[in-house]
Amino acid sequence: MALVSGPGRAGGPADTQLHTLKHVTYVKNLDTRKDELEYWLTEHLRLNGVYWGLTALFLLGHPDALPRDETVNFVLSCQSDSGGFGAAPGHDAHMLYTVSAVQILATIDAIDELEKRGRGGKEKVGSFIANLQNEDGSFMGDQWGETDTRFLYGALNALSLLRLMHLVDVPKAVTYVQSCENLDGAYGIRPGTESHAGQVFTCIGALAIAGRLDLVNKDRLGAWLSERQIESGGFNGRPEKLADACYTWWVGSSLAMIDRLHWIDGKKLSAFVLQCQDPDAGGFADRPGNMVDVYHTHFSLAGLSLLKFDGLEEIDPI
Amino acid sequence: MCIFSPEVSTHHIPHIGVQHTYVLFTASSKMPSHGVPRYKPVEKSAEARKQEQQKIDTYRDLERLVSTKVTEHEYTLDTLNRISELLSKNPEYYTAWNYRRRVLRYQFSQAGDSDGDTGPILQLISSDLQFLIPLLKSFPKCYWIWNYRLWLLDEARRLLPFEEAQQMWQQELALVGKMLTLDSRNFHGWGYRRFVVETLKELGTTEAAKGMTQTEFEYAKKMIGANLSNFSAWHYRTKLIQSLLDEQSATDDERRKVLDDELSLIHQAFIDPYDQSLWFYHQNLMGAFDPAMAQRTMTPHLSSSERLEYIRSEIEEIQEMLDGAEDCKYIYQALIEYTLLASKVEGSLSTEDREQILSWLSELKKLDPLRRERWIDLEKTL
Repeated sequence: MALVSGPGRAGGPADTQLHTLKHVTYVKNLDTRKDELEYWLTEHLRLNGVYWGLTALFLLGHPDALPRDETVNFVLSCQSDSGGFGAAPGHDAHMLYTVSAVQILATIDAIDELEKRGRGGKEKVGSFIANLQNEDGSFMGDQWGETDTRFLYGALNALSLLRLMHLVDVPKAVTYVQSCENLDGAYGIRPGTESHAGQVFTCIGALAIAGRLDLVNKDRLGAWLSERQIESGGFNGRPEKLADACYTWWVGSSLAMIDRLHWIDGKKLSAFVLQCQDPDAGGFADRPGNMVDVYHTHFSLAGLSLLKFDGLEEIDPI
Repeated sequence: MCIFSPEVSTHHIPHIGVQHTYVLFTASSKMPSHGVPRYKPVEKSAEARKQEQQKIDTYRDLERLVSTKVTEHEYTLDTLNRISELLSKNPEYYTAWNYRRRVLRYQFSQAGDSDGDTGPILQLISSDLQFLIPLLKSFPKCYWIWNYRLWLLDEARRLLPFEEAQQMWQQELALVGKMLTLDSRNFHGWGYRRFVVETLKELGTTEAAKGMTQTEFEYAKKMIGANLSNFSAWHYRTKLIQSLLDEQSATDDERRKVLDDELSLIHQAFIDPYDQSLWFYHQNLMGAFDPAMAQRTMTPHLSSSERLEYIRSEIEEIQEMLDGAEDCKYIYQALIEYTLLASKVEGSLSTEDREQILSWLSELKKLDPLRRERWIDLEKTL
């Protein structure tokens, strides 16, 4: 899957319908753009790209648009001896891509392939992830030590899909997430850092997977999250910032997980997201008038699905 | 919405088409394309296509060369230069940052072999720190560069004499200051600043650490002064005040004094009541009067009557702001939130307060239709 942006650009204010087939074609054609330099410059995101594209196709009701065997082959070709996955063959293993690999395999019901053809079966993948947990419950992205709540969420997500949660210290991870909570009820990337909607998603998602949403101050967090919606209808990620279509997912799913999705105007939000699509060549951009890409396409569609937009499959908010 | 349990993989739930999604916020100038304006796609000429193909070939040749050299453990300075070339073309190539770490680790081990002279290591680290600066300026939101830089500075701490490492970390403050001047909300920059400050505190004396908190407080103040909407700076201020008070083992009276000053500061800032950042800072301060939250604030030991006195005085202050700003939703939100807080401290909601809240809520439903359902939910709880 290529992560090349364009060729389309987001439509404009008039758009009120979802151009499903255009988006399917857009995603399917991403891997045919090897004559563009950007295709090669984005190889470090290839496995994420497959996940975003695949999920987009599932949401659009075209789950078979990507050939299953090729997808499994590609995923397995990204695995290293450590059990973890890199972004593409030959790239170093990292939490971010390992999570994508597990999610892709789970989506197409191919976790078994890890036992049949993977390096050491699913236990090996699980131990790669478990070895990245720190003493304080947080997780590193890889052996070089970057620590961030994105990795903690990713670890719990992948391990729950693999049914290997027992490999890590979940209560410690939960305590760590709590230490990232701020007075505004929202969460930051590490203890003491400013609240950020993307990190709220990772923290709330992690607590949901751990079955500890009871620890969340739902009204206070819900208030902060609902204030992310601005006049254009879109969500921003922090106070006094611009709206971006990808926050439709980060903010929307967080609200859904704490049962407060109705606290925002879903119609205005959908209208904003629809303005971000390219009606001719397919795909979504961060804002109306900007270049489309598969990342925003995926998160826009996931957001619309959360809002139960007509014509899309329903998505789970975690 | 579905009910999720930790061990249920959602793709087995029939009505749900897809697996839950996954996180990677990148906002680099590469991909995903944040903030890239649209342009009309034009059919590329044969010449343009040929040129693009040449660029692809050059890039892929370089990539192959680098990965071959690393696979063959050819950890030379020449390889390091090739990696620099590759990363300059594509700083998001995280594996290449790891290549760089491996080559440098090898170079460090070679340089350190002789008579304990760490000069060559200092040289390697300094020039590498230098190499990163233009990349950070061009790609200020690339996680990998910030992260690599921290690794490099940790190597300095591990391998260099104490004073040299300390000096290196000290210089980072100026760099991150520049980066935050270019984009005062860059959360990578703010996060990096925290790391640097924490490390400098670890490296210095207790006295120096106190001084550092004070300097950082001045820095946050300067950033707020430059732009009152900068919530990143307000957030930092919240954290710094607590550190300052803790480090000074401040008494309850001293803490109250600081709280009073903060409240009067934010009242002055409220000249623009439409700025959300200011209201969130005010809300942070008000946490001190919430029994459930006070422990995490600068004044954890206020009595109930003190809390109540503060809350009532804030409500009065905010009510006065309505004059000339009757259309400002934040004012009504604050009045409702703090009246409810007062009732929480008092143990019950008076009929009078309830009537007040209902009337503010009816204004709010008109002024803030986006969040209408939130206000309706709140109404139901009264």
